Amino acid sequence: MGGPLLKPVILIGIVYAILKFAVPNIPGSAPLPASLIFLYLMLTTSGIVIFATLSGESKDAFWGPIQRFLTGENIGNLQVLRYGVLLLLPLIVGWQTYNSTAISAAPPAENRTIHPAPPGEYTGLSNPIAKTPDAIQQGKGFYAAFCSPCHGGNFDGKGPASRGFNPPPANFSDPTTIAMLQESYLFWRIKKGGVGLPIEGMPWKSAMPRWEVELPDEWIWKIIMGEYDGAHQSPRTWE
Amino acid sequence: MKHGVSEIATGVIGGVLLVMGFLAVEPVAAQESIAVRAQMVKGLLPADDPNAAVWSSVAPATFPMSPQVHWPTRILEATVRDLSVRALHDGTNVTILLEYADPSEDPDDAAAIEFMVGDKKAHFAHGQPMAQVEGGPVNIWYWKNKDAKGMDMNAKGFGTLSVQTHQDVKAKGAYANGTWKVLFTRPLATEHPEEDTQIKTGGFINIAFAVWDGKKDISGELKEKGSQKAISSWWYFRAEAPPDYSGYYYAALAVGLAFGFQFILIRKLKKGQSA
Repeated sequence: MGGPLLKPVILIGIVYAILKFAVPNIPGSAPLPASLIFLYLMLTTSGIVIFATLSGESKDAFWGPIQRFLTGENIGNLQVLRYGVLLLLPLIVGWQTYNSTAISAAPPAENRTIHPAPPGEYTGLSNPIAKTPDAIQQGKGFYAAFCSPCHGGNFDGKGPASRGFNPPPANFSDPTTIAMLQESYLFWRIKKGGVGLPIEGMPWKSAMPRWEVELPDEWIWKIIMGEYDGAHQSPRTWE
Repeated sequence: MKHGVSEIATGVIGGVLLVMGFLAVEPVAAQESIAVRAQMVKGLLPADDPNAAVWSSVAPATFPMSPQVHWPTRILEATVRDLSVRALHDGTNVTILLEYADPSEDPDDAAAIEFMVGDKKAHFAHGQPMAQVEGGPVNIWYWKNKDAKGMDMNAKGFGTLSVQTHQDVKAKGAYANGTWKVLFTRPLATEHPEEDTQIKTGGFINIAFAVWDGKKDISGELKEKGSQKAISSWWYFRAEAPPDYSGYYYAALAVGLAFGFQFILIRKLKKGQSA
């Protein structure tokens, strides 16, 4: 059952399905770029060709049907399909050429790092304020006054002033924001604001104020406590 | 060695499907409303008339606006929440039409467009200094209702706003039915690349917007003024290039080459078989 070309086709299909649909679902993974999937499929195809041409016999079994199809000898009513393929392939080449030479209609892609590395002096700082109910309550009060217009009364990044900002204000109830960060990281981000980001964080786009010009450090540390408590998250710690 | 017709068919159909699969994984250009696209027009630009009929045939890009909260003195609520932007160019001048809802016409109503200047990135809030990135200035095109003209300005940080000695920007506003239409016009290129944004057709540049509601409250204070305004983030602007057909020529050439390659390949294979 099946020709010598059936197995390679199925194999390539399986590899494609894994790369396209299975890999993005692995925790911590992301969808692969089309160019990378293409590269993997080309590698798979080259592997198959090398394997199929290891011996003279397997080489004949692999290339024989392809040669016969291309030359059109003794292929009976597949002749129509052959003409179709011979017509289709050059058209695909033309289409690809057109696409690669056409000016892109899309704006440049932006690969903004959401949590870039903080400057050395802000790593490993611990919150100097004792974590008392009073301090947390005070922090929540400061949060309501200074942060909630953008980051939201529900800590979800959907405050009334947030709608025009790109990138949008961080959603603290999302487990991929402050729950992944240490308190010292938040201290840096609040104190230095958007303009304090390194280049990979695209500081020119961030609306986050530089709170060091308006708030004392003590308030910032309390805001951090209030944020974690209000968003029901805990700071990341190094086990 | 003989192979059945069905075997060949399996292989060939599989191969064709594979090629189509490769093509299917090619990324498709996303068309979201993140850019203003100025189409090129032949003939007269509607540079003096915000209500010109031609504008209704131009697709708008719509951007959400936020109150300016980035820097004191901030405001937490601004009148304008959405801004609609259309643009056209004729290869020499570009004209950009802002349209937004404002319940009242006031002498201090104002609007502005902001661009980066040169290759350096500039912070969207007046190009204010960044700690780890050397930023550049911003070029601001400003219009105020009572001035009835455009103003060409620069800034590199808050408090550094300055009016240029050479004015290249024209602006005109028209108010009707609770809507402002404000038209800005400038040559695509100017002789002052250090101060003016230079617009080359076909390339994307950054653009941002600001709007002030010049209404006075009961105490006679302006509701929005200075840094108290509605603002947008950086978005993209492109003056579309004239139509370019070279892609079709290259594609035709590629098709010809591919046919030639097939022809030679099959001839070689046939010769090999008969030998």
